[in-house]
Amino acid sequence: MTQKLLQLRDVTKSFGGIQAVGGVTLDVNRGEIVSVIGPNGAGKTTLFNLISGVLPVSSGSISIEGQDLARVPGHRYVRLGIGRTFQNLALFKHGTVVDNILVGRHWRMKTSVLEAALHFGRARREEIAHRQKVEEIIDFLEIEHIRDKVVGTLSYGQQKRVELGRALATDPKVLLLDEIVAGMNQEETEDIARFILDIRDELDIAILLIEHDMHLVMDISDRVHALNFGRTITEGRPQEVQSHPGVIEAYLGHKTEDAAPQDARAAGGLA
Amino acid sequence: MRSGYYKETIVEHINLTDSTLQRAWIGIGLLLVIAAPFHFEFYGLSLITLMMITAIGAMGLNVLTGWTGLISLGQTAFMVLGAYAYAISTESWGWPPLLGFVLAGIVPAIASVIVGVPSLRLTGLYLAITTLASAFIVNHLVLEFDGLTNGSSGIFVNRPVIFGYAFDTDAKFYYLTAGFGILTILACLNLRRSRIGRALIAIRDNDNAARVMGIDLRAYKLYAFVASSFIVGISGALYGIFLSFVTVDGFPFLLAIEALAILIVGGMGSIAGAILGAVFLVGLPEVTSFVFSWMGSSAQSLLSTSAHEIKGLLYGLIIILFLRLQPHGLMGLWQDARRTWTLWPLKY
Repeated sequence: MTQKLLQLRDVTKSFGGIQAVGGVTLDVNRGEIVSVIGPNGAGKTTLFNLISGVLPVSSGSISIEGQDLARVPGHRYVRLGIGRTFQNLALFKHGTVVDNILVGRHWRMKTSVLEAALHFGRARREEIAHRQKVEEIIDFLEIEHIRDKVVGTLSYGQQKRVELGRALATDPKVLLLDEIVAGMNQEETEDIARFILDIRDELDIAILLIEHDMHLVMDISDRVHALNFGRTITEGRPQEVQSHPGVIEAYLGHKTEDAAPQDARAAGGLA
Repeated sequence: MRSGYYKETIVEHINLTDSTLQRAWIGIGLLLVIAAPFHFEFYGLSLITLMMITAIGAMGLNVLTGWTGLISLGQTAFMVLGAYAYAISTESWGWPPLLGFVLAGIVPAIASVIVGVPSLRLTGLYLAITTLASAFIVNHLVLEFDGLTNGSSGIFVNRPVIFGYAFDTDAKFYYLTAGFGILTILACLNLRRSRIGRALIAIRDNDNAARVMGIDLRAYKLYAFVASSFIVGISGALYGIFLSFVTVDGFPFLLAIEALAILIVGGMGSIAGAILGAVFLVGLPEVTSFVFSWMGSSAQSLLSTSAHEIKGLLYGLIIILFLRLQPHGLMGLWQDARRTWTLWPLKY
């Protein structure tokens, strides 16, 4: 049985005259790993910014578990189960690993400013309970050895893993991963791939992935959604998408005799 | 060398102290604070009192500028409001001083909501200018409503009597200030280790990520502004009592610059840094006059004729030197020293 979790219907985002995302329709079901691929500037990250509430949509609708997000303010998306990581690390670099992941628990905690200043009763109990949860995430991601290090001093691969931990700490139903293995070596990439599968299978979190690493995409995705110039080229199983002529064209371009029409198309796509 | 303490439970991570040694140092520090009036005379004691009042104000600004990353040049306005709230309620209305202190926090806090709601949409330089403008507006309002504030002639403030106990000598007032100082330190430390403190620092480091984590940017920036103004207001009331006279002239615009300088010199975002910076900058004129007197009579007469210029010059020089050479301030120096000490004789 497939259950609809995240649903995008005709989602469009324009900046001035430029349409960054043009009418994307996309579903993520429970227990699924869906990848979004496309060349640079295809609108993948903009799409993530729309889904996670960083940017408002121009038209179309996004809903999670049937609830429309149109009237939900950006900082409340997380409460409905949308967690994400960012393309270029967006950690709080002066904090420790534990501090960073604890920020992910923020919306689950209820301590008020006054209670926090007194650090008494609920404030203390809550802090201990949520730190416990953070320790579980640290165990899960195998980053115990760096748990008290300041994030700014860690390697790129480690920081990516901390960011994954912070997103997990928000208790997401669907997790958006924006180029999580970019800049990683083979071994680190395989580690992350294993974590992604574990997150889906053990934690029951659906995953929407933006990725340039085609081996990873083809290996772990249930479905692949290909974008170019903000529009959907095709969607389907990894092998189907890989051999789709539109996708090949988007990545490699036309044969030389077709070069002129492609330029025209590019101009049209941006307009 | 010892590089830290092994922690086994989460409670150990939350607690403010992590070792007997650390607790011993805090104990020694408290003893020194208690013993100070027995050693220092009038002038020395009033200097330490002033350092404490300044440190309270600096800790207040640190919540806003150090943690949340919002630069305000208008915190003098909240000092003025705190001082007047205390002076008017206790002197003109005859309220008990304890209520006066509560009001000295609440009035600036409410004012900061009024200033904050429209201006906290801005950041950086724009926010600095907006808050600066609000400081001038407050000064103007205080002068304008002279029925309440006595206008430019100011209000005379007596030393407080709390629960029948009169803080009438310099030493007693010093202890009162020290009490407020310790309360402020505790409140700030507690805020810092809570979800609130983490949210504020998250906003400073990366506001987009903070929002995706579920932090309401507008609400939390306002919390920071209100908490900061509350603390700054209390320091304003204490400063009013210290001067025993509250006027607008007692809170010149230079205070706002001085407060930022304290945070830069001490180390942005650090509570201990705010205290160190306050001690450093308040003590600086004393050190200068000592050095000048040691240099001979001609230098001494130069200091007495142009003390204000030399003070300004020194502030400027010190801010430039710290920004250039040690952007993490005195706390950065301290951490470097500690790291060297721990790792010696190896580099790392």
